[in-house]
Amino acid sequence: MGTGGNVRIEVERSILQSADEAAAAIRALLSERKIFALNLISSPGSGKTTLIEALLARFDGKGGVAVVEGDVETEIDAERIRKHGVQVRQINTRSSCHIQPSRLLSVLREMDLSETRLLLVENVGNLVCPAEVSLGEDARVVLLSVTEGDEKPLKYPLVFKTSDLLVITKTDLLPYVTFDVERVRRAARAANPAVEIFEVSATNGAGMSALLGRIEALRETKG
Amino acid sequence: MHELGVAGEILDVALSEASRHAAKKVTSIRIRVGVLRAIEPENLSFLFGHLARGTPAEGALLEIEEEPVRVECEACGVSEAPSFTWECPRCKGPGVSVTGGDSLSILSLDVDS
Repeated sequence: MGTGGNVRIEVERSILQSADEAAAAIRALLSERKIFALNLISSPGSGKTTLIEALLARFDGKGGVAVVEGDVETEIDAERIRKHGVQVRQINTRSSCHIQPSRLLSVLREMDLSETRLLLVENVGNLVCPAEVSLGEDARVVLLSVTEGDEKPLKYPLVFKTSDLLVITKTDLLPYVTFDVERVRRAARAANPAVEIFEVSATNGAGMSALLGRIEALRETKG
Repeated sequence: MHELGVAGEILDVALSEASRHAAKKVTSIRIRVGVLRAIEPENLSFLFGHLARGTPAEGALLEIEEEPVRVECEACGVSEAPSFTWECPRCKGPGVSVTGGDSLSILSLDVDS
Protein backbone atom coordinates (compact mmCIF):
# COMPACT_ATOMS: atom_id res chain seq x y z
CA MET A 1 0.00 0.00 0.00
CA GLY A 2 1.35 3.42 -1.00
CA THR A 3 1.67 6.55 1.08
CA GLY A 4 -1.24 8.68 -0.06
CA GLY A 5 -3.25 8.54 -3.25
CA ASN A 6 -6.01 6.25 -4.32
CA VAL A 7 -6.09 2.73 -2.90
CA ARG A 8 -8.50 -0.11 -3.57
CA ILE A 9 -9.60 -2.14 -0.56
CA GLU A 10 -10.97 -5.60 -1.35
CA VAL A 11 -13.87 -6.32 0.99
CA GLU A 12 -15.97 -9.15 -0.45
CA ARG A 13 -18.54 -9.55 2.31
CA SER A 14 -22.28 -9.71 2.64
CA ILE A 15 -24.02 -6.39 3.00
CA LEU A 16 -26.29 -8.08 5.55
CA GLN A 17 -23.40 -9.23 7.73
CA SER A 18 -24.47 -7.40 10.90
CA ALA A 19 -28.03 -8.74 10.51
CA ASP A 20 -26.59 -12.21 9.88
CA GLU A 21 -24.55 -11.95 13.09
CA ALA A 22 -27.68 -11.14 15.10
CA ALA A 23 -29.47 -14.07 13.40
CA ALA A 24 -26.59 -16.35 14.38
CA ALA A 25 -26.92 -15.19 18.00
CA ILE A 26 -30.66 -16.05 17.89
CA ARG A 27 -29.85 -19.45 16.38
CA ALA A 28 -27.38 -20.13 19.21
CA LEU A 29 -29.93 -19.09 21.86
CA LEU A 30 -32.60 -21.35 20.31
CA SER A 31 -30.22 -24.23 19.89
CA GLU A 32 -28.99 -24.06 23.48
CA ARG A 33 -32.59 -24.19 24.74
CA LYS A 34 -33.71 -26.74 22.11
CA ILE A 35 -36.43 -24.40 20.85
CA PHE A 36 -37.72 -24.89 17.31
CA ALA A 37 -38.58 -21.58 15.63
CA LEU A 38 -40.79 -20.74 12.66
CA ASN A 39 -40.71 -17.38 10.86
CA LEU A 40 -44.11 -16.73 9.26
CA ILE A 41 -44.14 -14.37 6.28
CA SER A 42 -46.94 -13.24 3.97
CA SER A 43 -48.76 -10.26 2.52
CA PRO A 44 -50.97 -8.34 4.96
CA GLY A 45 -54.27 -10.18 5.37
CA SER A 46 -53.19 -13.66 4.23
CA GLY A 47 -54.15 -15.09 7.60
CA LYS A 48 -50.90 -15.40 9.59
CA THR A 49 -52.50 -14.55 12.94
CA THR A 50 -55.55 -16.69 12.17
CA LEU A 51 -53.31 -19.63 11.24
CA ILE A 52 -51.35 -19.24 14.50
CA GLU A 53 -54.66 -19.18 16.43
CA ALA A 54 -55.85 -22.30 14.60
CA LEU A 55 -52.55 -24.05 15.41
CA LEU A 56 -52.75 -22.98 19.07
CA ALA A 57 -56.29 -24.32 19.32
CA ARG A 58 -54.98 -27.74 18.26
CA PHE A 59 -51.65 -27.94 20.13
CA ASP A 60 -51.30 -30.23 23.10
CA GLY A 61 -49.21 -28.59 25.80
CA LYS A 62 -49.57 -24.95 24.88
CA GLY A 63 -47.15 -24.11 27.71
CA GLY A 64 -44.40 -25.11 25.30
CA VAL A 65 -45.37 -22.50 22.73
CA ALA A 66 -44.27 -18.86 22.63
CA VAL A 67 -45.29 -16.28 20.02
CA VAL A 68 -43.67 -13.04 18.87
CA GLU A 69 -45.89 -10.75 16.80
CA GLY A 70 -44.44 -8.17 14.41
CA ASP A 71 -46.43 -5.20 13.15
CA VAL A 72 -45.63 -1.64 12.18
CA GLU A 73 -48.05 -0.42 14.86
CA THR A 74 -50.50 -1.70 17.53
CA GLU A 75 -50.75 -4.59 20.01
CA ILE A 76 -53.89 -5.98 18.31
CA ASP A 77 -52.32 -9.28 17.23
CA ALA A 78 -50.61 -9.92 20.57
CA GLU A 79 -53.96 -9.39 22.32
CA ARG A 80 -55.58 -11.96 20.02
CA ILE A 81 -52.85 -14.51 20.76
CA ARG A 82 -52.82 -13.80 24.51
CA LYS A 83 -56.42 -15.06 24.74
CA HIS A 84 -55.11 -18.53 23.88
CA GLY A 85 -53.08 -18.61 27.09
CA VAL A 86 -49.60 -18.60 25.58
CA GLN A 87 -46.64 -16.33 26.19
CA VAL A 88 -46.63 -13.56 23.57
CA ARG A 89 -44.63 -10.40 22.85
CA GLN A 90 -45.43 -7.69 20.33
CA ILE A 91 -42.71 -5.92 18.33
CA ASN A 92 -43.73 -2.63 16.71
CA THR A 93 -41.27 -1.96 13.93
CA ARG A 94 -42.46 1.61 13.17
CA SER A 95 -40.26 2.75 10.25
CA SER A 96 -39.01 -0.75 9.41
CA CYS A 97 -40.94 -3.06 7.10
CA HIS A 98 -39.71 -6.29 8.75
CA ILE A 99 -38.57 -7.59 12.13
CA GLN A 100 -34.86 -6.88 12.60
CA PRO A 101 -32.97 -9.85 14.06
CA SER A 102 -31.28 -7.60 16.65
CA ARG A 103 -34.74 -6.57 17.91
CA LEU A 104 -35.97 -10.15 18.07
CA LEU A 105 -32.82 -11.16 19.94
CA SER A 106 -33.38 -8.58 22.67
CA VAL A 107 -37.06 -9.57 22.98
CA LEU A 108 -36.13 -13.25 23.31
CA ARG A 109 -33.58 -12.40 26.00
CA GLU A 110 -36.38 -10.74 28.01
CA MET A 111 -38.77 -13.68 27.70
CA ASP A 112 -39.01 -16.67 30.02
CA LEU A 113 -38.26 -19.48 27.60
CA SER A 114 -37.52 -22.16 30.18
CA GLU A 115 -40.57 -24.23 29.15
CA THR A 116 -40.65 -23.18 25.50
CA ARG A 117 -40.12 -25.77 22.78
CA LEU A 118 -41.79 -24.03 19.84
CA LEU A 119 -41.43 -20.35 18.92
CA LEU A 120 -43.74 -18.84 16.32
CA VAL A 121 -42.59 -15.47 14.94
CA GLU A 122 -45.13 -13.59 12.86
CA ASN A 123 -43.25 -11.16 10.67
CA VAL A 124 -44.60 -7.85 9.38
CA GLY A 125 -47.07 -8.35 6.52
CA ASN A 126 -44.94 -7.86 3.41
CA LEU A 127 -43.52 -10.24 0.80
CA VAL A 128 -40.35 -8.25 0.04
CA CYS A 129 -38.30 -7.14 3.05
CA PRO A 130 -38.90 -10.01 5.50
CA ALA A 131 -37.53 -12.37 2.82
CA GLU A 132 -34.14 -10.68 2.91
CA VAL A 133 -33.32 -11.07 6.55
CA SER A 134 -32.88 -14.28 8.52
CA LEU A 135 -34.26 -14.30 12.05
CA GLY A 136 -32.23 -17.39 12.90
CA GLU A 137 -35.34 -19.52 12.37
CA ASP A 138 -35.28 -23.28 11.87
CA ALA A 139 -37.89 -23.08 9.14
CA ARG A 140 -39.37 -20.24 7.15
CA VAL A 141 -43.06 -20.41 6.30
CA VAL A 142 -44.61 -18.33 3.54
CA LEU A 143 -48.40 -18.05 3.45
CA LEU A 144 -50.36 -17.31 0.31
CA SER A 145 -54.13 -16.93 0.49
CA VAL A 146 -56.24 -17.95 -2.47
CA THR A 147 -57.78 -14.47 -2.62
CA GLU A 148 -54.40 -12.91 -3.45
CA GLY A 149 -53.95 -14.50 -6.85
CA ASP A 150 -51.80 -17.34 -8.11
CA GLU A 151 -49.06 -15.21 -9.67
CA LYS A 152 -47.43 -14.22 -6.36
CA PRO A 153 -44.47 -16.68 -6.60
CA LEU A 154 -43.57 -15.18 -9.96
CA LYS A 155 -43.86 -11.62 -8.68
CA TYR A 156 -42.09 -12.12 -5.34
CA PRO A 157 -39.65 -14.96 -6.02
CA LEU A 158 -37.16 -14.36 -3.19
CA VAL A 159 -39.59 -15.15 -0.39
CA PHE A 160 -40.66 -18.35 -2.16
CA LYS A 161 -37.03 -19.27 -2.85
CA THR A 162 -36.05 -18.89 0.80
CA SER A 163 -39.08 -20.58 2.41
CA ASP A 164 -39.14 -24.21 3.56
CA LEU A 165 -42.91 -24.44 3.82
CA LEU A 166 -45.57 -22.86 1.62
CA VAL A 167 -49.01 -22.75 3.20
CA ILE A 168 -51.86 -21.94 0.83
CA THR A 169 -54.57 -20.47 3.08
CA LYS A 170 -58.31 -19.78 2.87
CA THR A 171 -58.89 -22.83 0.64
CA ASP A 172 -62.57 -22.75 1.68
CA LEU A 173 -62.83 -19.74 -0.67
CA LEU A 174 -61.50 -21.60 -3.74
CA PRO A 175 -64.97 -22.04 -5.29
CA TYR A 176 -65.40 -18.25 -5.38
CA VAL A 177 -62.05 -17.09 -6.78
CA THR A 178 -59.84 -17.72 -9.78
CA PHE A 179 -56.78 -19.36 -8.26
CA ASP A 180 -54.82 -22.13 -9.94
CA VAL A 181 -53.21 -24.18 -7.16
CA GLU A 182 -51.09 -26.15 -9.65
CA ARG A 183 -49.68 -22.92 -11.11
CA VAL A 184 -48.60 -21.86 -7.62
CA ARG A 185 -47.07 -25.26 -6.90
CA ARG A 186 -45.08 -25.20 -10.13
CA ALA A 187 -43.75 -21.66 -9.65
CA ALA A 188 -42.91 -22.30 -5.99
CA ARG A 189 -40.99 -25.46 -6.93
CA ALA A 190 -38.99 -23.57 -9.57
CA ALA A 191 -37.98 -21.14 -6.82
CA ASN A 192 -37.25 -23.93 -4.31
CA PRO A 193 -37.48 -27.58 -5.42
CA ALA A 194 -37.45 -28.71 -1.75
CA VAL A 195 -40.41 -26.58 -0.64
CA GLU A 196 -43.16 -28.46 1.24
CA ILE A 197 -46.62 -27.29 0.24
CA PHE A 198 -49.74 -27.41 2.41
CA GLU A 199 -53.30 -26.33 1.59
CA VAL A 200 -55.33 -25.26 4.60
CA SER A 201 -58.45 -23.53 5.73
CA ALA A 202 -58.27 -22.25 9.29
CA THR A 203 -62.01 -21.61 9.04
CA ASN A 204 -63.22 -25.14 8.27
CA GLY A 205 -60.09 -26.95 9.50
CA ALA A 206 -59.22 -28.61 6.18
CA GLY A 207 -55.53 -29.52 5.96
CA MET A 208 -54.79 -28.29 9.48
CA SER A 209 -53.91 -31.69 10.93
CA ALA A 210 -51.36 -32.37 8.16
CA LEU A 211 -49.70 -29.01 8.78
CA LEU A 212 -49.77 -29.44 12.53
CA GLY A 213 -48.30 -32.94 12.22
CA ARG A 214 -45.46 -31.65 10.08
CA ILE A 215 -44.65 -28.81 12.48
CA GLU A 216 -44.62 -31.22 15.42
CA ALA A 217 -42.38 -33.65 13.50
CA LEU A 218 -39.96 -30.81 12.64
CA ARG A 219 -39.96 -29.70 16.27
CA GLU A 220 -39.01 -33.20 17.38
CA THR A 221 -35.87 -33.04 15.22
CA LYS A 222 -34.59 -30.34 17.57
CA GLY A 223 -34.44 -32.78 20.49
CA MET B 1 -38.00 1.61 0.83
CA HIS B 2 -36.11 -1.52 1.89
CA GLU B 3 -33.13 0.08 0.11
CA LEU B 4 -32.73 2.34 3.17
CA GLY B 5 -31.51 -0.49 5.41
CA VAL B 6 -29.20 -1.76 2.68
CA ALA B 7 -27.78 1.74 2.12
CA GLY B 8 -27.13 2.07 5.85
CA GLU B 9 -25.28 -1.25 5.96
CA ILE B 10 -23.11 -0.30 2.96
CA LEU B 11 -22.20 2.98 4.63
CA ASP B 12 -21.32 1.23 7.92
CA VAL B 13 -19.02 -1.22 6.14
CA ALA B 14 -17.40 1.50 4.02
CA LEU B 15 -16.72 3.75 7.01
CA SER B 16 -15.31 0.97 9.17
CA GLU B 17 -13.05 -0.29 6.37
CA ALA B 18 -11.92 3.26 5.60
CA SER B 19 -11.06 3.93 9.22
CA ARG B 20 -9.28 0.56 9.53
CA HIS B 21 -7.07 1.60 6.61
CA ALA B 22 -6.64 5.15 7.93
CA ALA B 23 -8.21 6.53 4.76
CA LYS B 24 -9.37 10.14 4.58
CA LYS B 25 -12.04 9.71 1.98
CA VAL B 26 -14.05 6.99 0.26
CA THR B 27 -14.31 7.73 -3.47
CA SER B 28 -16.19 4.70 -4.78
CA ILE B 29 -17.79 1.47 -3.58
CA ARG B 30 -18.45 -1.58 -5.74
CA ILE B 31 -21.35 -3.82 -4.80
CA ARG B 32 -23.02 -6.83 -6.37
CA VAL B 33 -26.82 -7.07 -6.22
CA GLY B 34 -28.80 -10.04 -7.48
CA VAL B 35 -31.97 -9.13 -9.35
CA LEU B 36 -33.98 -11.37 -6.98
CA ARG B 37 -33.22 -8.81 -4.24
CA ALA B 38 -35.65 -6.36 -5.89
CA ILE B 39 -33.30 -3.46 -5.19
CA GLU B 40 -33.89 -0.33 -7.22
CA PRO B 41 -30.35 0.95 -8.05
CA GLU B 42 -31.39 4.59 -8.37
CA ASN B 43 -33.22 4.50 -5.07
CA LEU B 44 -30.26 2.80 -3.38
CA SER B 45 -27.79 5.40 -4.74
CA PHE B 46 -30.04 8.26 -3.70
CA LEU B 47 -30.47 6.94 -0.15
CA PHE B 48 -26.78 6.14 0.18
CA GLY B 49 -25.85 9.65 -0.95
CA HIS B 50 -28.22 11.09 1.62
CA LEU B 51 -26.92 8.97 4.51
CA ALA B 52 -23.27 9.58 3.57
CA ARG B 53 -23.53 13.36 3.92
CA GLY B 54 -21.04 14.71 6.42
CA THR B 55 -19.07 11.45 6.53
CA PRO B 56 -15.79 10.48 4.76
CA ALA B 57 -17.99 8.66 2.23
CA GLU B 58 -19.83 11.82 1.17
CA GLY B 59 -19.98 11.98 -2.63
CA ALA B 60 -18.69 8.41 -3.05
CA LEU B 61 -19.83 6.71 -6.23
CA LEU B 62 -21.86 3.55 -5.73
CA GLU B 63 -21.02 1.17 -8.58
CA ILE B 64 -23.75 -1.45 -8.70
CA GLU B 65 -23.03 -4.69 -10.54
CA GLU B 66 -26.32 -6.47 -11.28
CA GLU B 67 -26.23 -10.24 -10.98
CA PRO B 68 -28.68 -12.07 -13.26
CA VAL B 69 -30.83 -15.00 -12.17
CA ARG B 70 -29.06 -18.36 -12.49
CA VAL B 71 -31.31 -21.06 -13.87
CA GLU B 72 -30.55 -24.78 -13.87
CA CYS B 73 -32.52 -26.79 -16.43
CA GLU B 74 -32.81 -30.58 -16.26
CA ALA B 75 -32.46 -30.73 -20.04
CA CYS B 76 -29.83 -28.16 -20.96
CA GLY B 77 -27.87 -27.18 -17.86
CA VAL B 78 -27.09 -23.76 -16.48
CA SER B 79 -28.15 -20.48 -18.06
CA GLU B 80 -28.96 -16.93 -17.03
CA ALA B 81 -32.17 -14.94 -17.07
CA PRO B 82 -32.85 -11.23 -16.49
CA SER B 83 -35.57 -12.02 -13.92
CA PHE B 84 -37.19 -14.93 -12.08
CA THR B 85 -38.60 -17.54 -14.44
CA TRP B 86 -40.28 -20.94 -14.21
CA GLU B 87 -39.23 -22.07 -17.66
CA CYS B 88 -35.77 -22.57 -19.15
CA PRO B 89 -34.60 -19.44 -21.04
CA ARG B 90 -33.10 -21.73 -23.73
CA CYS B 91 -35.41 -24.71 -24.30
CA LYS B 92 -38.54 -23.24 -22.61
CA GLY B 93 -38.85 -26.52 -20.67
CA PRO B 94 -40.49 -26.56 -17.22
CA GLY B 95 -37.83 -28.61 -15.37
CA VAL B 96 -35.95 -25.66 -13.90
CA SER B 97 -34.73 -24.49 -10.55
CA VAL B 98 -33.44 -21.02 -9.80
CA THR B 99 -30.08 -21.41 -8.07
CA GLY B 100 -28.64 -17.89 -8.00
CA GLY B 101 -29.32 -14.22 -8.42
CA ASP B 102 -29.71 -13.29 -4.76
CA SER B 103 -26.26 -11.85 -4.02
CA LEU B 104 -26.01 -8.78 -1.85
CA SER B 105 -22.30 -8.12 -1.32
CA ILE B 106 -19.74 -5.38 -1.05
CA LEU B 107 -16.86 -6.21 -3.38
CA SER B 108 -14.35 -3.42 -2.82
CA LEU B 109 -13.95 0.26 -2.15
CA ASP B 110 -11.57 2.92 -3.41
CA VAL B 111 -10.21 5.32 -0.81
CA ASP B 112 -7.86 8.28 -0.67
CA SER B 113 -5.29 7.63 2.00
